[in-house]
Amino acid sequence: MEYVSPEGLRLDGRRPMEMRQIRAEIGAVSKADGSAIFEMGNTKVIAAVYGPREVQNRSQQISSHALVRCEYCMANFSTGDRMRKSKGDRRSTEISLVIRQTMEACILTHLLPRSQIDIYVQVLQADGGTRSACINAATLALADAGIPMRDLVTSCSAGYLNSTPLLDLNYVEDSAGGPDVTLGILPKLDKVTLLQMDSKLPIDILENVMQLAIEGCKAIANYIREILLANTKQLEYRRGV
Amino acid sequence: METKSSSSSTNLVDQSVCPGDVILDLSNMTNQTIKLGGGLRQDCDAISVMKAGRLRFSKPNKYWVENSQKRYVPHAEDSVLGIVVDSRSDNFLVDIKGPALAFLPVLAFEGGTRRNIPRFEIGTLIYARVVKANPGMNPELACTDASGKAAEFGALKDGYMFECTTGLSRMLLSSPTCPVLDALGKKLSFEIAVGLNGRVWVSAASPQTTIVVANAIMNSETLSGAQQRIMVEKLLERIH
Repeated sequence: MEYVSPEGLRLDGRRPMEMRQIRAEIGAVSKADGSAIFEMGNTKVIAAVYGPREVQNRSQQISSHALVRCEYCMANFSTGDRMRKSKGDRRSTEISLVIRQTMEACILTHLLPRSQIDIYVQVLQADGGTRSACINAATLALADAGIPMRDLVTSCSAGYLNSTPLLDLNYVEDSAGGPDVTLGILPKLDKVTLLQMDSKLPIDILENVMQLAIEGCKAIANYIREILLANTKQLEYRRGV
Repeated sequence: METKSSSSSTNLVDQSVCPGDVILDLSNMTNQTIKLGGGLRQDCDAISVMKAGRLRFSKPNKYWVENSQKRYVPHAEDSVLGIVVDSRSDNFLVDIKGPALAFLPVLAFEGGTRRNIPRFEIGTLIYARVVKANPGMNPELACTDASGKAAEFGALKDGYMFECTTGLSRMLLSSPTCPVLDALGKKLSFEIAVGLNGRVWVSAASPQTTIVVANAIMNSETLSGAQQRIMVEKLLERIH
């Protein structure tokens, strides 16, 4: 199957180095301490953060820093074929772990000892790049909750199909079986917090694909910053903020 | 926290900032002390932001980030509204919307002795002052002011308690009086207790007045002073 046409267009009409349209909204869940919706094309994710709060299970309490918990699940209606298992399967458990480790790298947990931060992420619509969208949504939700962070974590995927590096793969491109790199970075600190890859890739091509993913992450970081700044400016009437 | 610096101004003051933003570079600064408030931290030779909000500066040398959130981070000398969740022999456990439950010693009341220990049922609403707030231990409360007098602190009877953001509670306690409270106070009589932890208690003679005051305060969060006054007038038109 031809994933990139001779004119240099992908199946959904994008250029190889073009991202899908992104949209974010803060404060989607009124009862949560922080929440956000993040959309990347047809992938739509909602994240809710609760905490820092009292640790529910005393045996898990850590005296030196906060306990970060994460739960990822896909809604039954998120894909074309209705899903049977939405939570607790191996894939969900692995992605929960990935998100938790990525977010722990940016949260200043030592400032909140003996407390607990819960991150709940649900995929409402899935069209490739769900874990990237989940990390971006979780970052926004954490910032909304006022949890101290070193930097904003942003994530983006990139792949290599038809001898062309592609940015922000959708489901069809993701399912093609080619190399798929998911990258998470701290843009201001220039540090990598997540790097996952399916399939094999020559080292020289990996550098190109990674550079493409980094540019995507930085573009998302700029957008997330704009959303956070706009949210703060909405409250500028307030004298006490 | 104190650090040496030569310049007390930064172009980000009164601007919105995000986590990771560097507001001051200390590598080429000497001879002056700066003080860092909430939302800022020193990372090697840079002062960086760790919470999204608006950067503020107070002369001569204080920087902090003002932000609004639902959770409360305890600070000493804050007045808070807490809910009793458990009672022990020597203290009450109080929920103040923080990372951990707070301790309220049974002797932390005016004239508190072993003879006259107060009896609070679980669910009692208490207006208290944060005495200690160290990160490694549970916050400690007291129902007395610094001089040991009860002042306005203690259990709150009747009334209605609702939750808001920490930013709104700071606005309600700001000086001069917040426009929404000013406008309501001219037309209605009611009692109000505002906790810096994002809880507000309102008590009035009639439920109607209580509901109007509570709704007006909750609606005022994103309104300017003039808009708050107009909103109060419209609410009062409906009940008179």
